[in-house]
Amino acid sequence: MSKIIKATFSQKCTGCELCVYEVQQQLKNIGLEGSAIRIFRNLAKNPNGIEFIVEIDPSVTKLNLEKIKNICPNKVFNIVEQGHEFGH
Amino acid sequence: MNLDTKRVIFINLRNRSSNVKGYVDLNEYIGGLGLGLKLLQNQIDEDPVILSIGPLSGMFPYATKTAVVLEDSGAIEDLYIGGTLASRIRFAGLDSIVILGRATKEVIIDITNRDVAFREADKTDIRSLGLPGKRSILFRDKKEVKLDGYFFTPEDFLHEKFVRHNLSGIVVTGTEAFKPPNFEKYQDIYFQILERTHELSVKKGLYPSCTVCPMGCEQSSSGEIGGNVLIHSLVTCGFAEKIYADPGIIFSCLNVLGYHYTHEDIENLPNIIEKILKRPIY
Repeated sequence: MSKIIKATFSQKCTGCELCVYEVQQQLKNIGLEGSAIRIFRNLAKNPNGIEFIVEIDPSVTKLNLEKIKNICPNKVFNIVEQGHEFGH
Repeated sequence: MNLDTKRVIFINLRNRSSNVKGYVDLNEYIGGLGLGLKLLQNQIDEDPVILSIGPLSGMFPYATKTAVVLEDSGAIEDLYIGGTLASRIRFAGLDSIVILGRATKEVIIDITNRDVAFREADKTDIRSLGLPGKRSILFRDKKEVKLDGYFFTPEDFLHEKFVRHNLSGIVVTGTEAFKPPNFEKYQDIYFQILERTHELSVKKGLYPSCTVCPMGCEQSSSGEIGGNVLIHSLVTCGFAEKIYADPGIIFSCLNVLGYHYTHEDIENLPNIIEKILKRPIY
């Protein structure tokens, strides 16, 4: 069973983008373009810029998920078995 | 990445034009404060607003600030704003943004890499501009100019300048990617610096963070004013001064990115800045 990474605690995200940098570094890049994880500010819901949306592209599974999980200072991510992501 | 030139975008609000120039002779000013001061001196008749980053911006942890350099009532002011802006300017492939002139009608500047569009402020929702996840939004409300709705600069200088220029906001989107020649060495240094959180003079919190800083500190929102000229020319966070005041770290970072600065260049920077400040700007 393959593993996937989920932003289980996205409410704890502070927008530091260390996860984005980690993803890009695993691809030997520095930048934001084409990252499998993107962090959006939820300005529509919270114009004060204190709420974030973590968007994860399925292509992230090709990368070292443990490293991505561990780089987050606020433990936003969890790694789960595919098919178990809804707690089944 | 601009290793041997400083790439500056000039945006003229009066005639809604922009052009990008590369300057070899601005290299000695390193970035941030130094670069901003020199550009201010060169463009003083146009009452410029200058946003400048440094060579480490967007590339290393805690190199998180953007220098805002402007003139106010005959005095030069340098302010520093955190958040995402420095990384977006870096990934737009720029070192400085210089805004000149006054718009006839209130305007929003929409920058994507080196392309600039001018949007009517009264007809545009600024949140609709740029690419989410790769953009920064500087927006002027009635009281202050805020970055991404949260970060701001100390004092009112930037707000006053936006009003004077008839400027409602700036959106910067950066989509370029970089690859240092020795990527493994780059990563070694990157992670060594990232681990030095105990040397930062702030406490960890759960407030919005600047890009590539894990601290989420309470102080990040309010920016900085004044301080160490080298730190402000590299435009690292003032709370990371213990790390970036070390010439060994600075050179490791600059060298691995491929810059050709020497120890003399770094040591001479305060003198160069002093010379600029001693010359009358008018």
